[in-house]
Amino acid sequence: MSFFNFDQSRHNTAAPGFSQAHDPFASLANREEDAEEIDFEDTYDGLGDQLEETNDAFNDDTFGDDVGEPGPVGKDFDFFGQTAKVANVIEEENVRFNRQPPAAKAPQPVAQQPAYTSTAGPSFAQPSYNYFAQAPARPARTGYEKYHEQPIEDLQVDAALWGVAPKKQPPPPAQPAAPSAPSGGRKMLSLEEVEAQMRAQAKAATPSPAPQHQPHQIPPEQAYYYQQQAQNQPQAHFQAGVVEPLYHQPQGHPMTILQRPHSKPATPAQPPTQPPAIHQHQQPVPPQQPTQILQNPNRLSGDAAKIGLPIHPTPPTGPQAAHQGHRQQGSLPRQPPMILHPAQLAQLSEEEKAAYLEQEAKRAKRNHKIFQMSRDNGIMTPQDKNFITRIQLQQLVAATGNPNEHGTDESLAEDFYYQVHSQIQAGQRQHPSQPLNQFAQTYLFQTGSRQGGMRRHNRGPENHMQRMEQQVQRAVEAAKNKPKNKQLVIEGSLGKISFSNAKTPKPLLNIKRHDSANDVKKAAHYVNGRDKKGELKALELVYTTLMKMEDHDRNMPMAPAEDDQEALAKVFAWTNEGQALNEQLWKALRVQDPDQPDRIHPFMALLSYNKGKRAIPRIFRHTTHEQRLSILTRVLLSLDHLDVVREGQVTTDQIQFNAAMRENIELFMAAVVNTLFSFTNELGLDLVGGILGLVCTRNVDVIAKSKIGASMLTMLLSRAETIKQKLVGNEQEWHNWEMHYNHFFNIIEPSLPYIFPASMNTNEDTYVWQLLAAMGIGASPDQQQRLVIAVKDRVMETVALGKTLPPALAIERLGSVNLFMRSIGLDVELLQ
Amino acid sequence: MLFFSFFKTLIDHEVTVELKNDIQIRGVLKSVDQFLNIKLDNIQVVEELKYPHLSAVKNVFIRGSVVRYVHLPQESVDIPLLEDATRREAANQATKAKQG
Repeated sequence: MSFFNFDQSRHNTAAPGFSQAHDPFASLANREEDAEEIDFEDTYDGLGDQLEETNDAFNDDTFGDDVGEPGPVGKDFDFFGQTAKVANVIEEENVRFNRQPPAAKAPQPVAQQPAYTSTAGPSFAQPSYNYFAQAPARPARTGYEKYHEQPIEDLQVDAALWGVAPKKQPPPPAQPAAPSAPSGGRKMLSLEEVEAQMRAQAKAATPSPAPQHQPHQIPPEQAYYYQQQAQNQPQAHFQAGVVEPLYHQPQGHPMTILQRPHSKPATPAQPPTQPPAIHQHQQPVPPQQPTQILQNPNRLSGDAAKIGLPIHPTPPTGPQAAHQGHRQQGSLPRQPPMILHPAQLAQLSEEEKAAYLEQEAKRAKRNHKIFQMSRDNGIMTPQDKNFITRIQLQQLVAATGNPNEHGTDESLAEDFYYQVHSQIQAGQRQHPSQPLNQFAQTYLFQTGSRQGGMRRHNRGPENHMQRMEQQVQRAVEAAKNKPKNKQLVIEGSLGKISFSNAKTPKPLLNIKRHDSANDVKKAAHYVNGRDKKGELKALELVYTTLMKMEDHDRNMPMAPAEDDQEALAKVFAWTNEGQALNEQLWKALRVQDPDQPDRIHPFMALLSYNKGKRAIPRIFRHTTHEQRLSILTRVLLSLDHLDVVREGQVTTDQIQFNAAMRENIELFMAAVVNTLFSFTNELGLDLVGGILGLVCTRNVDVIAKSKIGASMLTMLLSRAETIKQKLVGNEQEWHNWEMHYNHFFNIIEPSLPYIFPASMNTNEDTYVWQLLAAMGIGASPDQQQRLVIAVKDRVMETVALGKTLPPALAIERLGSVNLFMRSIGLDVELLQ
Repeated sequence: MLFFSFFKTLIDHEVTVELKNDIQIRGVLKSVDQFLNIKLDNIQVVEELKYPHLSAVKNVFIRGSVVRYVHLPQESVDIPLLEDATRREAANQATKAKQG
């Protein structure tokens, strides 16, 4: 079009480097050509023609006392009062602009509509540069300082980024223009409405209808808006960015749009606290501009250049803000939070103001919080998080073992002591495997509850839990299926890398164990006729077998139903296995090995070790009656070979056993004698008699002189006495028993005076009195007399000693003696 | 895992931990982990005059690797059970060694 006076071929606005956004009028020009639907003349009321360009000084009159507007709106333009101060500055600038080189003014005198576009086209880029040239020379207070702070070059860049939009805009549909045109003809307000609609449609994907006088503003403003967002400069520009969308959708959802600026905490919303300066410099100009447009198109370009806003981002703000004020008042009076302009605040009642401020404060607080929380948002992607979780789970699995194994033998093997100990000690734990299970569960539970605790994730904590559990499950599966490579050999390298964890530490030595090691028979080393190592090994074998048997007992299958073949088979297998183990144990004990004259019996050798003694109670739990009897017989038969008997002989001199021996004796008493004692209490008279007869074949003197031996004898005799009191057993048995007893009595009688320990002061001799009492009960009157004669001295000594002792001790001492005395129908009292 | 298993049973018992720098700390065992790191509560240094800087300390976390001895309360150790546990551990190790 010739109206440009401008060669369009030279200036290709579509060229990418050309910052199309800055050249919105060119696009308009193009539109003019191919889209005739909208004629500027149709929408333009021609008021501009009536205005005098030169009488700018009266602009204040025109706009300051804007009578055309309804009453309440007047308040909106209050800022004119304030900005009146700046009015002269503006004028100065006008003058200044007029003195500019003609390049800027060149397109000035043309017909109105073309004039617009023409000014825009050529003068567009230049004015912006002019502006820069001018900038330093500006008066101190133009009201646009804020804009100065904003580097304008950015506009260019931004336009390149975003400004493609205007070019792409297809010719606007005519619809919106039609309604706007008539109103535009009548009032200023309607003009703004047209502008608003234009902008709305420019914003939307659908191209704007673009009424012809200010379509040029749309794209740049858009660009500018984005630019603000990009640069995040929370200055006065927000005004434009914030207000504009609202303008489009007055009752809409300003939040969505507002949030962008909010994302910068500097200005959460247009806070009421913001200095009015921003508005001051914004407000004065905008109201002028539209008018000026109408008055004198030249002024517009001049203004634009002068303001330094070739892209016109701000000019609309004023009218928009003002207009918005109208809207607010008119159509949406009851939406205080919609207030974006402090000026509006003034219009509100106290209540509304308070509510508004409160809401504002809340919102600001919330935004701040969101900002605080979101500072680290998105540092990790979901994949990252998953990855970390998997690593953690795998380590957990590696550290604690397979959670599925908890409660099984394997975990029992790993944590045997703790589990059994806590079972024994407390019993508060219902299940031995609880602690470990708890561990895994606790982990899961914690994660789950933590998730559930977050309100935002309320929709599926359960879901999350499940997912977590599945993940654990999968991790466990994977860990199980993974071949256990304990070493990594990197190809081509000489070394290996060993992996280790707490459960299986890295093996620092790699020693091959030969299974055949057991086969190599070493000649037994006999020291003093004993093979200590061999004995200890045998003992360990006993223990191992015992533990196997205990495990076996734990795995006892349920009592089978009548016709449940499978269960029956299971029970059968279990029984068989138990029998095999029993045989193994019996073999290991070697109870029935023949006696060898020069060597201690292997079973008794086991008993010479403390752990061998301790094993007896356990062995008795896993052996048959016959086996137990064999053990009892064996022990009594070899009593005089037993170290605790041989070396535990009482002597007349005051020698004390050493601590180890005392301990051994105590242990033997506790472990072996007690076990045998309770077993003996199940035996019949014939067996007791038979065993007594066997004992008599041994060195009774030695046996009786030891605590252990004496206790064993007491055990047998008292059992017989118990049976006698129950009046069970037949004549033959009694006869046999008496025969054995008489034989025993005859053998032991000479030793009786010497079986007492030397010391009388302690109650160490109680067991002797017990033996004597057991003998006395079963003795015939003749035997009783012999008994009394044999121990008379000791009795008298003890009674005499009792008189010198403190009463409590004396009673105790005499009590022991009385035990014997009463068994033969006497009492210590008689002696005193 | 035997030691871990064992020390777990001593939780809430008083033990004396002797460190490799000769400090002996007596306190209530609060927790122990697989590395035999030890947490003691209510601690008291055995030779307080020698280590006055520890007299104000109420509880400690001891890295397992710096422990020389742990003095056990005898009455809370089940010796036969411990023996059995040791046997099991040995058996486990043997099987593991064979497998590995």
